[in-house]
Amino acid sequence: MTRTLRSWISLGIFAVLAHAVPVFAQDGKKPGVDFIHDVVPILRNQCGKCHTNGVSKGDFAMDTRASLLRSESVVPGKSGESDLVDRIVSDEKDFKMPPEGARLTAKEVETLKAWVDAGVPWEESFSFRQGSYEPPLRPRAVTLPPSQPGFEHPIDRIVKAYWDKNRVSPPPVSDDVSFARRVSMDLVGLLPAPAEIDKFVKDTDPAKRALLIRKILDDRKAYADHWLTFWNDLLRNDYRGTGFIDGGRKQIVKWLYSALLENKPYDRFVHELISPPTPESEGFVYGIQWRGRVNASQVREVQFAQNVGQVFFGANLKCASCHDSFVDKWKLEDAYGLAAIVSDQPIEINRCDNPTGKMAQAKFLFPELGTIDAAAPKAERLRQTADLIVHKENGRFRRTIVNRIWHRMMGHGLVHPVDAMGTPPWSEDLLDYLSNYLADQGDDLKSLMSHIATSRAYQSVASPHSENVSPDDYVFLGPELKRMTAEQWVDALWTITGTGPEKPFAAVTLPERTTDSPAAGPKVRAALMDCDPLQRSLGRPNREQVVTSRPEILTTLEALDMSNGKPVSDLLRAGAEKILERNPGKSTAELTSWLFRAALSREPSADERATSAEILTDKPTADTLADLLWVVVMVPEFQLIR
Amino acid sequence: MTPFEFELRNVLSRRDILRTASASSLAMLAGGSPRLAEAAPDKPKPHKATADTVILLWMGGGMAAPETFDPKRYEPFEIGLPADKILSTFPAIDTVVDDIKITQGLENVASVMDKASLIRSHVVADLGNILHSRHQYHWHTGYVPPQTVAAPHIGSWIARLLGPVNPAIPAFINIGQRLEGNGEQEELKAFTTAGFLGSEYGPFNLPFPEDAVNAVQPPKGMNKDRFEARQRALKAMIKESPLSDVASDYHQQSILRSIDNAHRLLSSKDRDAFDLSKEPKASYDAYNTGRFGQGCLLARRLVEAGARFIEVTTEYVPFLHWDTHENGHETYTRLKREIDRPIAQLVRDLDARGLLDRTLIVLASEFSRDMMIEGVPGSTARDQSRAKADKMEKPIQYGLHRHFTGSGSVLMFGGGMKRGYLHGETAPERPLVTIKDPVSISDLHATIYSALGISPATMFEIEKRPFYVTVDGKGQPVKDLFAKTPA
Repeated sequence: MTRTLRSWISLGIFAVLAHAVPVFAQDGKKPGVDFIHDVVPILRNQCGKCHTNGVSKGDFAMDTRASLLRSESVVPGKSGESDLVDRIVSDEKDFKMPPEGARLTAKEVETLKAWVDAGVPWEESFSFRQGSYEPPLRPRAVTLPPSQPGFEHPIDRIVKAYWDKNRVSPPPVSDDVSFARRVSMDLVGLLPAPAEIDKFVKDTDPAKRALLIRKILDDRKAYADHWLTFWNDLLRNDYRGTGFIDGGRKQIVKWLYSALLENKPYDRFVHELISPPTPESEGFVYGIQWRGRVNASQVREVQFAQNVGQVFFGANLKCASCHDSFVDKWKLEDAYGLAAIVSDQPIEINRCDNPTGKMAQAKFLFPELGTIDAAAPKAERLRQTADLIVHKENGRFRRTIVNRIWHRMMGHGLVHPVDAMGTPPWSEDLLDYLSNYLADQGDDLKSLMSHIATSRAYQSVASPHSENVSPDDYVFLGPELKRMTAEQWVDALWTITGTGPEKPFAAVTLPERTTDSPAAGPKVRAALMDCDPLQRSLGRPNREQVVTSRPEILTTLEALDMSNGKPVSDLLRAGAEKILERNPGKSTAELTSWLFRAALSREPSADERATSAEILTDKPTADTLADLLWVVVMVPEFQLIR
Repeated sequence: MTPFEFELRNVLSRRDILRTASASSLAMLAGGSPRLAEAAPDKPKPHKATADTVILLWMGGGMAAPETFDPKRYEPFEIGLPADKILSTFPAIDTVVDDIKITQGLENVASVMDKASLIRSHVVADLGNILHSRHQYHWHTGYVPPQTVAAPHIGSWIARLLGPVNPAIPAFINIGQRLEGNGEQEELKAFTTAGFLGSEYGPFNLPFPEDAVNAVQPPKGMNKDRFEARQRALKAMIKESPLSDVASDYHQQSILRSIDNAHRLLSSKDRDAFDLSKEPKASYDAYNTGRFGQGCLLARRLVEAGARFIEVTTEYVPFLHWDTHENGHETYTRLKREIDRPIAQLVRDLDARGLLDRTLIVLASEFSRDMMIEGVPGSTARDQSRAKADKMEKPIQYGLHRHFTGSGSVLMFGGGMKRGYLHGETAPERPLVTIKDPVSISDLHATIYSALGISPATMFEIEKRPFYVTVDGKGQPVKDLFAKTPA
C-alpha cells in the first residue's frame, strides 16, 4: 500500500503493522480468512483434544499463535511448506492428523490452507487455554529462595530464582544518574535538581541509594502531589466533571490530599472511603448521578459494586451488573450483593435492564471472609463491608494494590493487565511476598514503595515497553520504559522554566515543602489544577470511569498540540524569558549546559552542543531559547522515564 | 518460549530484542488496547459503500421539528391565543418537491429539497428529566450515559475504522463547539472523545472556523524558516540522543511518528483548506451568516481536500440558539437565517463539484420541541419552560419551549440517499408523535455506517466484552433511504 493512501493518523502505525500483523481488519470489512469464526472451530474440533489447553502430545501445543509458530508446524504465508497442512491431507498411518477418525473435509482443509497463506492471522489475545486459574483469596506465606551474591534483597532473591529458572541473565544495574532520575519521577513525579544529582553521584556512601529513596519519600508534599493523580484516576475523583451540574457527585479531594500527606495506612484509607467517618470521603461510595433516568446497570448502587470490585480487587463486575458474566466467575447476584449494601432501599435485581422480581441480598464478594448483616442500617452495612475489604485475611485486597504499585514503578504488572486480578501473576511468590510485606508494615504504602525501590530488580537498566505480550509469553526483564503522564510532563516544563500557577484549583491547603527535598518542582503541581486542554490532550482522562493506566503512546493530535498549540507555545516563550532573566549574561554554551542538566539530568555531547548552538545562535533570545527548549522537551529521552 | 529462546533473547542485543518484539507490541498500537473483532455471521453484512465522507450538521439544543422541517397547523401570534392551540409558529412553504413542505425561513433549503431525503420519524430515547448534553451523548455515541467504558463519538468510530481520506486532513474534525467556558462543558467533553479507541482517533476541535488555519500552521510569531530549523534540530537531537539505542522501541516510534505526522500537517499545502481567507469573496459571502455559515464553508473546503468525518454545529450553549426555553419564535427566525443559506450553498457547491454523490450530509438534533409537552406524553419530567402561559400575552411566550422526544426530523443529502424523498410521518395534531416508520438513533447510525461500508455490527473487544458501533450490533440501516437497494 502506498504512503499516500495511508491514513493521516495511522500513517506510520499501520505501515509497519501491515507486515507484522495481518490479523487486523482495519477497514472494518471482512478479511479473507475469519480466524475466530472459521479457523478456531476447526482447530478446536480436530486438534484441540491433544494439542491445546495444557495437553501437548508429541510435544506440540498450539494454545497461542506464538506456541504454534514455535512448533514450526506452519510457515506463515506458505501452506505448501507447512507440516500441519501436509499432515491433515495425508493418509499415511503414522503421519496423518488427526491420527484417528474422519479426515478433515475439503472445505476445512481449504480454510486452513487459506489461513496459513494469509500469514496465520490470530486474534491477539485469543488462547485455547481455558481460564482454569483460581486466584487465592487469603495471604500465603512464601519461603524465600537462598540469597546469592548481589541478590540479597528479598525481592531479588525471588527474582533471581525466577531468572535462573527462566534462564535469563540479569540486566545490569543502572548508573547513578538514571537511578536518581527514575526514582524521583516514580515516587514524586519530579525531575531531580541538577545540584542534587551531582551530590549524589559524588557520594561514596554504599547506602546512598537507600538514603536518597528515603529523602524523596520524606518529601510529603511532593509525594501527595504526585500520587494524587494515581488516586484521582482510580477513585474517579475530579474537581469538575459530569454529574456536578445537578449535585450528582461529590469530591473527595480534601480528604484524599491530606490522607496522602500523612501517608494514611492503606487499610485505614480504604476503610474511610467505604465507611466514611466524615462527609469528606463519601464521594467514592456516592458515585456519579447524571440527570434523568439511567440503565439499571448504571444506577449509583451498581456503580458502587463495579468500582469496589475493580479498584480494590481487580475484579471486573461490569459484565455481571447486567447478567452472569460470560468471561469469569462473577454472577449477577455478586454485583447486586454489593449494590444492596449501599442502597437506601431494597433493590430489585435487573437482568439486562429488565426487572427479575428478585430482591438483592446484601452480600460481600468473598463470603468466606465473613457476612454482612443485611438487616442492619446502611452505615453499619458499610462498616462491616469496609472491615471485610481490609480484613487481614483478605490477601486479594493487598495483592491488588501491590500489583498496582509494582505496575506504576516497573511499567508492567505482576498481574497484567492490572485489573485482571483473576489471571495468574508471572511470579506468585513475589506477589504474595510483597502483599505479606505490606501487611507486616502496617499497610504503609511508602514502605512498600521503598522496599521495591531498594531492590536490584527496580534499580536495573530499563528495558523496552512490553504491552500486549500475552501473559504466557511475558518474561520479566527488569523495569520498563514508561511515558510521562500529562501531569509529569507539565510539571517538568514548569520546573525547568520556573513558571506555573500560583494557586491550586483543587480545594486543598498546600503545606510547605520540606527544604532538603532532592527534587526540583513548581509551586503548584499540575495534578492540583483543573484539567485544561493541554493536560487533556496529553492523556489526563475524563474521570467518568475508573482509570488504572495512562496511554503509553504519543498520538498525532498530542504532537500537534505540543508543536503549535497555544498553551505550549505560550509556556515555552514565557519560560524562555524567565530562564534568561534568571541566567543573565550566560553564553550559548553555558545556557545549553544549564538546559540539558535541568531537563535531561546530564551535560550535552559535542554534537548536541553544535545542534543547540545553531538554534540558540551566539546571542540567545527568548525566541531562540524557546525553540531549543521545545526540542529538548520533545526528544523521547525527555518524554520517557527510563 | 523454549529455554533456547530465552537464552537467545538474552544474548541478543537490546535492539534486536526490540525488533523481534515489535510485532506484538505494535499490534497494540493499531488497536489501542481494544481489539477490533468481526461481525458475527448472523449479523447484517456491510453494504457496499455509497459514501466516503460524512458531514454532520448538528442543531444543538433540540431543534423543534414543527418550526423547521415538519410544519403543522400555523397559528400566528395574537393576544389571548390559547397555548394549547399552537403547533407551529411559522407557516408552511412549498419546496421544489411537490409533496414536501417545510417552514417559512428555510426558502433556500426548500430550493434544494430535490436533493434531500427527509426523515420526519426520528425517535430518540426519552431519558426522564431532560439534560441536553446527556441526549447529545446518546446521539453522538449511540449509547445512553453513563457507560462503564468510555464510549467513542461516531466520528471516532469512523476515523478508527476508515482512517482519513487524505492523510494530511485529520479524519475527525469538529467545527464550532467550544468545550471550555460554557455551560455543560464537562458533559460535552464526555462524548466529544474517542473514548476507549484512544486519542489518536479523537476530534480535531476547531471551535472558531475563522481561526481554523491557526490550528494547522506554525505557532504565532514563528516564520517558516524558524519552524523548519526547529524541526531539523529536533531530528538531529533525536539522532544524537543516547536513547536512540532503543530506536525500535514502541514508545520512541510512536513519538517520532506522531511528531512527523504533526509536522507534515503543519507544513502541508493541504492546510490551505483550513484557511477561509483563501476563499473568493463572493463565495465566502454566500456562506457567511456567522460561525455556522463559516463552518459550512470550512466543511466544503475540507471535503474538497479529502476529509472523512466533519461535524459542524450551531453550537450548544444552554438556553441559547435552538434551546429555546422562551421567545422561541423570534429566536428561530434568526437561527433559520443563519442556517438556511449556507446549508443550501453547501449542497449546491458539493453537487456542482461532483462531490455530493459520495458525501453524506446529515442534519440532526438531540430531540424536538413542543408548546405543551415536556418529554413524551405522560412523562413526569420537570417542565423547564421559562415562559409558561395558558394564553398568549406577549411575544416572549410564543414558541415551542418544552423538550419533546416523541418525534424529530433528520435531513440527509447525497452519499447514496434518495433525492426528493420523504420518510416517516408524525401525527397532525398534538401529541405530534411519530405515526409511521420510526427511525431510532441506532438505525440512523446503522444507515450512516452502512453508507460508509461499515457493518452496524462491527465491534471491538474492550475489557473482554464486545462493544459495537450500534448497541448490541443491532442497528438496522433504513433501506428505503438508499437510492439503490444496497447489495
